[in-house]
Order: sequence, then C-alpha cells, then structure tokens
Amino acid sequence: MSEQDERKRIPQRVLIGKVGLDGHDRGAKYVAHILRDAGYEVIYTGIRRTPKQIVETAIQEDVAVIGLSLLSGAHKRLLKQVMDLLKERNASDIVVVAGGSIPSSDIPGLKAMGIAEVFTPGASSQSILEALASLLKARRQAV
Amino acid sequence: MTNDTKDLVEQVRGGTSQRVRAAARLMSLIENFPERIPEFLVGAADWPETRMVIGLTGPPGCGKSVLADRLITALRTRSPNSCIGVIAVDPSSPFTGGAFLGDRLRMMRHASDPNVFIRSAATRGHIGGLLLGVKAFIRVLGLAGCRTVLIETVGVGQNETEIVDVADLVVVAIAPGNGDAIQLLKCGLMEVGDIFVVNKADCDGAAQLYAQLLAVLRLNANGQNRGMSETCFVSALHGRGVEELVDLCEKRAADSEQAWRSRRRQTMVNEVKEAVLEEARQRLSRVLGTGPLSTQDLNRILRGEVTVTGFVDELIQKLTGTREVQDHHG
Repeated sequence: MSEQDERKRIPQRVLIGKVGLDGHDRGAKYVAHILRDAGYEVIYTGIRRTPKQIVETAIQEDVAVIGLSLLSGAHKRLLKQVMDLLKERNASDIVVVAGGSIPSSDIPGLKAMGIAEVFTPGASSQSILEALASLLKARRQAV
Repeated sequence: MTNDTKDLVEQVRGGTSQRVRAAARLMSLIENFPERIPEFLVGAADWPETRMVIGLTGPPGCGKSVLADRLITALRTRSPNSCIGVIAVDPSSPFTGGAFLGDRLRMMRHASDPNVFIRSAATRGHIGGLLLGVKAFIRVLGLAGCRTVLIETVGVGQNETEIVDVADLVVVAIAPGNGDAIQLLKCGLMEVGDIFVVNKADCDGAAQLYAQLLAVLRLNANGQNRGMSETCFVSALHGRGVEELVDLCEKRAADSEQAWRSRRRQTMVNEVKEAVLEEARQRLSRVLGTGPLSTQDLNRILRGEVTVTGFVDELIQKLTGTREVQDHHG
C-alpha cells in the first residue's frame, strides 16, 4: 500500500483547544472545522484549559498534533508549560503548533522552545493544512 | 514508542509510568488496523475485567455527554480508589473521513484525574452507533485497571442498537423537544433501555415527556409480561437526579454481576470463533487463488466433474500440503 493510500485509510488525530483565560474560540473552532473537512479526526477540548488538562488529554487520545489557540498574550508562559509537561510525560513526539495573536518577534523564541509552527491572523486555511501535512510526514518518518 | 501488541499489553498491565500512553497506543492500533483485533484475544482470559459496562445512548443533543460527566463525578465520589474508563463515540464524515469529536469537551474537568481515562472515537464507517473495535477497547480499559466503563454512543436515531450487545446495562436518555409521544412508540431505541432517563428536567415539557414515557413503558411491560424498565428524571446540567441514576446502576450491578460475567465470557468466545473462521477463510482463499487458474478450477464444478464438498476437500488437502512444506522449511 502506498503512503498516500495508507494516509487516506487512517485518519490522523489532532487536538484543538485553548489554554489560559481568554475565551475567544472562533479561531479554534474555525481551524477544527477545516481540519475535519480535510479528513482529520479533531478532538476539541474547548476553552480555558490548563496545560496539564491538554497534555493528559493528548496522551489518552493518542493524537499526533496539539493545536493551541492563544489570544491572551500569555503564549510564552503557557506554551512553555505544555512543552515541559509533554517532556515530563515522555510524549515529546507529539507535534505542537500554535495560533492566534502572537507578535512576530515572539515566534523565534517559541520555535526554539519546540513549537513546530505558529499561525498568525490572516493565515489561510490552505497554508495551515499544508504545514500540518508536512509536519505529519516528517513525524511519520521519524517514528 | 513501540507498536508491538505484546510489549504494549505488558506495559499497561505492569502499571509502569508509560501505562496510559501504552493503553492509548493499543487503542490506536485497534482503530487503525482492525485486522489486528484478533491479537487482542490471545491470552485475554487472564486480563483483569471490568465490573460494569454502562452504555449511554439517545438522540443527538439530548445531553448524553453532560450526563456522562455527572456520572463520572458521582462514581468517582462513591469509590475514590476505583478507575473509570470512558469511550465517547461520534460519527465520521462519510464524505471526507474526518470527524469532530466533541463529547469529551463536556468532561474536561476530569482530564487531570489519573483515575479517569477518556477516549474519543470516530465511527470510521461502522454502522450501529459504535466503532468496530469497541469490545477490544473495553478490554484494554479493563487491563488498564478500569472497574467501570462508560460508553457514549453517537447520537442515535431509531435503529442504532448495537450497544445492547456490548454493554451490561443500557441507559437510554431522551429529552423534551424531540417530537411528541408518538416517538416513544417507535421500535428500536425505545426497546433497548434497561434504564430510561428523561434529561433536561429543568426544561419546558420535561414533566409531560416523563409522564408519557411511564405510560408507554407500563404498556410495554404488560404486553411483554415482564417487569417495567426503570426510569429516572434528571437534570444533568444542574446535577439533579444523577445520584438516583447511579443507585439504579449499582443495584443492577449487584444483582447481575455473575450473569454479566458469564455473558461477557460467551461474547469473547464468540469473538474468538469469528476470528478463527476468518483466518480459515483467508487461508483457504489464498489456496484457491484468483485469476484464470481459479476460474478454470471452479468451472470443474459447473461441468459436474466435482462436487462443492469434494472441491473443498481438495482445497483443504492442498492447504495442509503447503503448510507441511512451510513447516519443513521453517
């Protein structure tokens, strides 16, 4: 079976959610929707989750990707906690991406922390899908 | 992390720090490679078993997930040291294969409780309201130490009743606003409940629906000469009536534990039988082969040179022949 067939047969699992205190979930729901329509299985956790809730959920659901939306400005601190917990739980193979109102000057720091991709306002659905597909391909080759 | 079933099973059973990850990975294997489900039957006789499998079913939006959330809280409070497993099923798109799994959202307060293991699953084309490998999922949760397993089906219409074969106890939830009393007379969903719940007791029309439900169930009981199904009037949102529902479940568990266990054994034996027959079918079909040779061979039956039984005898002979050669070289 070619890799493309294999991918078609087995849907990839993605967690989409929000950490911290901001409750603006339009972006997260939009991304969940486009991923669903692109054939992903999306586990939607909703708003105001703690980093621990996100990490434990990701492990139980055996997702390949965690996508977190942040509009509160607390992205550096919250994403650091998520990355630390994943490491602690021996689950650093899960790809983490972030989206929301994140200043471009913060992006290099987030990437250094291990965030695989950061999507800022205006990111097209096509660019999100393409980025995810190539991250997942790299992950499959690494595992 | 390994994808070897045996290693993963040992990691779950051993209670290592990787227990949860290993159990989750096993579930992914079950979902992604249904042909490997029989692997989960080998040695399963001595896996720890669940005590009670509750199936929660009902139409979309009747409050199953919120009710599941309340049930988890109530069960955890009653047995603080006991683990609970939850399987929450939502539909896959028949068009894209994607799915939006939104049941877990209502249960997020339990996400950091180490004694609660929640797994969302998409139907991936399976009909009946559940996923294909749900029985294997339950066994993995049992192996991970879950004494109680709660299965939330997809929002069902009238005919998705597979849950009856899978759960020890079926709880059917309905809520006001989903049609009049005629809906209660229809077959399928309204026949499968051990316990019926009218949820959204805080909403308009709930009391009337409950009265109609009681009337229908009373008539059912008279017609079928059996005891009346039990009922509960619940507001999951406000947590009212949930303790009564758990009381009913616990009472059933106490009365039927033995019967449930032997039924589960029987189901497992049936599963093994299916797996064995499937393996035999595949092996024979490999001997029969495909293409013109196989067609020529099968035409012998149409020409009357051999009977179907005689042909199968030949196939089996060929199969055992190749088997011996394989063993010889192995």
